[in-house]
Amino acid sequence: MKVLAFQQLAYRHLPPGFSEKYTCVVTPPYFELVEAGKMHEAHVHFLDEMMHAARVGFDGLGVTEHSQAAYDILPNPNLLLAALAYGTQAEGLKPALACVGRSLGKSKEPLRVAEEFSVIDQISGGRMIAGFPISLSYDSNQNQGIPPIETRPRFAENLALIERALREEKPFPFNGQFSKHPYVNIWPRPVQRKLPIWAPAVGNPVTLKGILERDQVFLYPGWFGPRQAGSAVFKRYWGMAEEMGRDANPYRLAFLQTVAVGETDAEAHREYGPHIENGFRNAFGAMPPSSLSLPGYHDIKGVEILARNPADFGLVPKMKTIKYSELVDAQCAIVGSAETVADQLIELVRDFRIGSLLLMTQMGSMPTGLVKKNMSLIAQRVMPKLKQAWRDSGFESQGWKHKWWPASLS
Amino acid sequence: MSADPGIKGPKRDEVVAVSHRDLKVRVRIAGKGPAIVYFHPAAGLYWDRFLDRLAEDYTVYAPEMPGTTPGDPYAIYKVDSYYDLLLIYEEVLRKLGLQGAIAIGQSMGGMVACDLAAFYVDLFGKLVPLGPCGLWRDDAPSGIPDLYTSPPQQMAGFLFHDPRTAPGAIEMMTPPSDPEIFPMFVAQITWVQGCAAKFLWPFPDYGLRKRLGRIQIPTLILWGENDRVTPAKHAEDFHTLIANSAIKIYPQCGHILQMEKIEEALADIKRFIA
Repeated sequence: MKVLAFQQLAYRHLPPGFSEKYTCVVTPPYFELVEAGKMHEAHVHFLDEMMHAARVGFDGLGVTEHSQAAYDILPNPNLLLAALAYGTQAEGLKPALACVGRSLGKSKEPLRVAEEFSVIDQISGGRMIAGFPISLSYDSNQNQGIPPIETRPRFAENLALIERALREEKPFPFNGQFSKHPYVNIWPRPVQRKLPIWAPAVGNPVTLKGILERDQVFLYPGWFGPRQAGSAVFKRYWGMAEEMGRDANPYRLAFLQTVAVGETDAEAHREYGPHIENGFRNAFGAMPPSSLSLPGYHDIKGVEILARNPADFGLVPKMKTIKYSELVDAQCAIVGSAETVADQLIELVRDFRIGSLLLMTQMGSMPTGLVKKNMSLIAQRVMPKLKQAWRDSGFESQGWKHKWWPASLS
Repeated sequence: MSADPGIKGPKRDEVVAVSHRDLKVRVRIAGKGPAIVYFHPAAGLYWDRFLDRLAEDYTVYAPEMPGTTPGDPYAIYKVDSYYDLLLIYEEVLRKLGLQGAIAIGQSMGGMVACDLAAFYVDLFGKLVPLGPCGLWRDDAPSGIPDLYTSPPQQMAGFLFHDPRTAPGAIEMMTPPSDPEIFPMFVAQITWVQGCAAKFLWPFPDYGLRKRLGRIQIPTLILWGENDRVTPAKHAEDFHTLIANSAIKIYPQCGHILQMEKIEEALADIKRFIA
């Protein structure tokens, strides 16, 4: 199996009570909340930490995109991924570089995304994994001004254009509803003839169907509890895969999970607990529900399903004032000694047929020293157990191949 | 929106097939007498007491914007743009033989009615926009983004100056209590707003300011002084740019003026169109 370090670039010095007073997206007041030096520091620490993850042996590094947000300040994740591409290349390190990804429902310049991925693949010698989420409603609709009902058609058109731009050998005209190009012929093209694509999604059946049709990896984020909110999604996904004639290759499923590892359970809870609670409150707890679903963003059938099954939201409604113990109980964060963490992750991997794990190693106010400690302990003590469990699980003997891993690293 | 038992509602429908695409537009109709065409706002066609009262003396035709008719949600994807929407409305009215009708439009519907009157200068006989959107002012920005992102419990406060005293407001804003019906209701009302947002989001500004001067027919512009969706400062612009226009601004009144000031609005409109 593959284990990647995933990070968002949070501003780590938000004031106490932030989630009660502010929203974390669209309108948080920058100059009221941010000290210039600390924002600079956050960017440098982010890169330091991801380089550390590469040095201690993670199989890959993962990032994603959000604009006008205090919890993930990566308006263009490819900028930082390009720095990591060169940084790792210069040190002879070979982690996969997963941009999971660029939000195509908001993109007004989709060819630029294809060009940037190609550049990163060139710098890294073919280590790129591409990811294309639809984009959150606040980001596409409030930040970018896309009419909500056009988010999904725009996503579909942009994805088709990017895939074709990466694939076609000769210049071609593209006459779309949202962009028109007389000659599409991007330079450079990626090193990899076909970029692996991992698609982050929260479980909407329409989205899952598209992922399976395009034979991409489904990346599910477990922020709201892998069992409470996720088990129904995993079941739906594998059921749909079977119905659609796709094989049961566990590498079709990647899972993103917040993880914090200490020498002992007690130490881990003591050291990481306050930062994890801070992170969940200030990110998911400070997102207005209306910003996640402007009218038209979700299909009419999807709105009806959500209105009928409020439990699909998991712990979302409680996030503003959620307690650390609740996060741990629901496995929104898996925290403890290496043994504790590995045991819980292995259970999830086996139960849900997960082939790749993206482990989120920083949350909220967690300082850089603690993040690096977390990464080191995961790499040294948890990853070997995970890989052994993978071999023991039977998945390996069943001969499944990771078809969605960078070709140059396979 | 929820059913108000005090409302009589439409009496019949016409379904008009639109050329060159697989699209049908439902037009709800009530009353007898000269024709009024009513263009609904972003929340869809809510047949209210105002329309009931107009139908006492007129035949009210209320076309539903594609996508907003229950059971046909994906019709919205057959409309490419705002200008495409205008073409569709013009064809529907022409096929129903409604040239020369009186046009009344609320909010988004007011913008549509004004634009139809500007593009097709002989289409209507008279024009009554009610708190129409369609213009932009830096000193009075559109309230559409705030309206669309406000929590459901704040919606009434956005639409009315005082929802407690506006006739029919409580009934309109109260969702059905039946747990079986509630999810469908939420899905429908949300989708309808999503369809409208295709033409309203983030701002409903398609250059109407440059076209208002083309409108020559008698026009009565009605507005709520406390409108939070389309600020009343826009009313003067409409009045200035439409040569043959009169204006009335109701004090203590929000965006849905035909409910909040129903008696005054009906009296003013009936006097104007008589």
